[in-house]
Amino acid sequence: MATDPQAAAGQRTVEALAAKLRRRQVVGSRESALETALVLRQVVSKARFQNINQLVEIIRSVGRKLIEAQPKEHTVGNTVRRLLHHVREEYDNASKGEATTSANEFSIANFVLQGQPRRQVAEKEAESTLVLKEDDSDDPDSFSRTLKPVVMEAIQDILDDLETVYDNIAKSARDHIHSDEIILTVGRSKTVETYLKSAAHYHKFTIIVAESGPSYGGHDMARSLSSAGISTFLVPDSSIYALMSRVSKVILGAHAILTNGGMFAITGTLLAATAARAHSTPIMVCAGQFKLTPLWNLYHEYGALDFADPSGVLGFEEGDLVDKVDVVNPYYDFVRPDLVDVYVTNEYASGIIPPPSMYRLIKESYDDEDNEL
Amino acid sequence: MSSNSQPQHKPRTPSLLLQANGPSQNDPPPTGAPTKSQKQMTKAERREVQERQRAAKAAKVTASGPQSGGPLAKPQHPSSSTSSQPKKTGRGSESPVQSRASTAAGSSGLPNKSTKESKAAAATAEEDAAVRSRGLRIFSHFALQKPTGHIAKGNVHPAIVRLGLMFAEFKICGANARCIATLSVFKRVIQDYTTPPNNTLSRHLMTHLSVQISHLVSARPMSVTMGNAIRQLKMEISGSDIDLPEQDAKDALCGKIDNYIRDRIIIADQVIQETAMRKIHDGDVVLTYARSSVVQKVLLEAWAGGTRFSVIVVDSRPMLEGKRLLSALVSAAIPCTYLLLPALGSVISEVSIVLIGAHSIHSNGAVFSRAGTALVAMMAKQHAIPVVVCCETYKFSEGVRLDSFTKNELAPSGDSFSCFPRNRSPASLIIQNQLNLEILNPLYDLTPPCSITAVVTEAGVIPPDSISSIPLALGRSV
Repeated sequence: MATDPQAAAGQRTVEALAAKLRRRQVVGSRESALETALVLRQVVSKARFQNINQLVEIIRSVGRKLIEAQPKEHTVGNTVRRLLHHVREEYDNASKGEATTSANEFSIANFVLQGQPRRQVAEKEAESTLVLKEDDSDDPDSFSRTLKPVVMEAIQDILDDLETVYDNIAKSARDHIHSDEIILTVGRSKTVETYLKSAAHYHKFTIIVAESGPSYGGHDMARSLSSAGISTFLVPDSSIYALMSRVSKVILGAHAILTNGGMFAITGTLLAATAARAHSTPIMVCAGQFKLTPLWNLYHEYGALDFADPSGVLGFEEGDLVDKVDVVNPYYDFVRPDLVDVYVTNEYASGIIPPPSMYRLIKESYDDEDNEL
Repeated sequence: MSSNSQPQHKPRTPSLLLQANGPSQNDPPPTGAPTKSQKQMTKAERREVQERQRAAKAAKVTASGPQSGGPLAKPQHPSSSTSSQPKKTGRGSESPVQSRASTAAGSSGLPNKSTKESKAAAATAEEDAAVRSRGLRIFSHFALQKPTGHIAKGNVHPAIVRLGLMFAEFKICGANARCIATLSVFKRVIQDYTTPPNNTLSRHLMTHLSVQISHLVSARPMSVTMGNAIRQLKMEISGSDIDLPEQDAKDALCGKIDNYIRDRIIIADQVIQETAMRKIHDGDVVLTYARSSVVQKVLLEAWAGGTRFSVIVVDSRPMLEGKRLLSALVSAAIPCTYLLLPALGSVISEVSIVLIGAHSIHSNGAVFSRAGTALVAMMAKQHAIPVVVCCETYKFSEGVRLDSFTKNELAPSGDSFSCFPRNRSPASLIIQNQLNLEILNPLYDLTPPCSITAVVTEAGVIPPDSISSIPLALGRSV
């Protein structure tokens, strides 16, 4: 398989993305997810496999490589996991309706066992397949021929999902934001931006944007929101506490949401969230489902242990200081689950959930066996 | 001159002023120079005031911008290069000035009284203002600061004019620095003062000083420290002996001022240094926010005293004062870490003590200090790290403040404070007020007493609950 020239081409695209991720040319959760999905599409379209395990292994190996290149872009792994979930689902469906016996209704009682029955089913199905011919020695391509279009469709679904994620999240904006509210947000998040703009169609409200140094993404955010006709105030990060007493709601973006309901988000988020807690101001986090990460033990004293270029904090214009001072410029803050009131994701009905229930949504989105790729 | 051709800044950017104060600020003021600059300034100022009023109106205006921008577009264009307005006088120079203001205010419809169509624009503007002002209303009191108003009303001493300019441009800032500067200049004012006939010094000097003070206040709102010092000075003046020869009385007052500076600030700082440095131990990680002169002294003193610790300097826009502290600490070879406020969450858990300064301290134990201090104190408190405020007792204010919102000051949003990193193009960062977008840079915030562990004063280490006993402890001499 590896000697296959087509598969080699697929590997090259993987390597290219891995390099980009490593060099931080692809940053941001959505962009990483998008790039990953595109690479997966390319790899799967060229891959040759004879049974489900081979296909899963191919996808997983892509995931492993990309995650190894940039373990902090959690959406890479999430996209891979989501695809695996879809693949298994399609496979189960195609290989007979019996997989559905594992019951779709969710109750706490059988919830813990979710995912367990299916594996047994899958193994049993391997022989009884009618449509799918695995390991067919006469026609080795028959399996991939049948399954590939389905998998490609699944990837397309993921891509479509990523395209529409902002609008889907924004659907609930109207219900959550009221007239005359003063809303604080930190830095720039495309999700929050779309959310607020969508709410602006129905209500008039005021937004305070903390600029979030040293990236100062808040400037772009403020510019964009104000040009959409929303009354916007741009403030330095230092005045978050001072203004918090007048803020009625804090709406934040996320980088990754973890199973325990905590999240990684741009630096400054923790400050805003803590200040909001101190003032008992509700905190909403808007994030697409591709940010749900089935991991939980990632936080560390040093934010996300991921540091950006220090020149943004202390540039070379401070020549005599640069080599004598440690400069810390982390990308992300870890925000504990108790600081967040609600997550708004792109599933309208069930997507608005409090942090303690986050594990459920994550369990529904991925298969347990993929938590470690 | 080039400083003047920056129509992209807010109108409160002291662009005209830069010219006016140019000579007065660079030269040590010889007797002739300040008066000249003052004269020059009054012209500039008058225009500045007009401009500001218009800009203020224009700032309220909404959607009429693009439409009414049409007729105004012509004068706008050359206006960016008209940088020599102070030389022109009379109505002739009016229109470019106005259009300058209009560009500055985000090219919204400007009520240009000389044209009819803009009158109509102004009418619609007022309606729109009513619609739009909702967002502005709660922040409107922030704008009370008079950015560059320097009409030297009455008999203002040139040294005061100079000081006012330095205050307005934040050349001198910080509660202690401003207080010391004010008192030192007042010494000169008092020395240059002669009691007019049929008046006594103890009565007339007061009115003379009031003029100076109101000029300083017009440059920048008075700090609590200045207020306390001035109250003390007035008390001394009114108490001065009528029978004393004038020069002796003046010398006595100057002596009192010197004593005040020495006792309440310099000696107080020394006592605070000795007390606070005992709170720093070997191996500690001391976190401080922005720059406080007292904290700087404490850190340097503790290091010089042989304690080996490291310092984390946290900083934030709009002032980025921490850099100055950083360079002072680095030159003393203290190991330092520097970070911006948003990154605080990442390092807070390794901190052993937080040392911060204060602008003023209130009887409910709340500390009014540089914006961001409250966030630092809050985070430290959450992680059970002691928050120690270093604060002289003359910063005590009888008033109670409940939040940082009701009374605050705005930092100018001109680029002198932006200090942005250079890894992004300035065009993408320098942002100015435009339609629907306003920039607020509050200077201070209020740290509630619950997130403060102790206040180190020259009267001892006091828990924030007992701050109200400071005047008692000092025999009500504040």
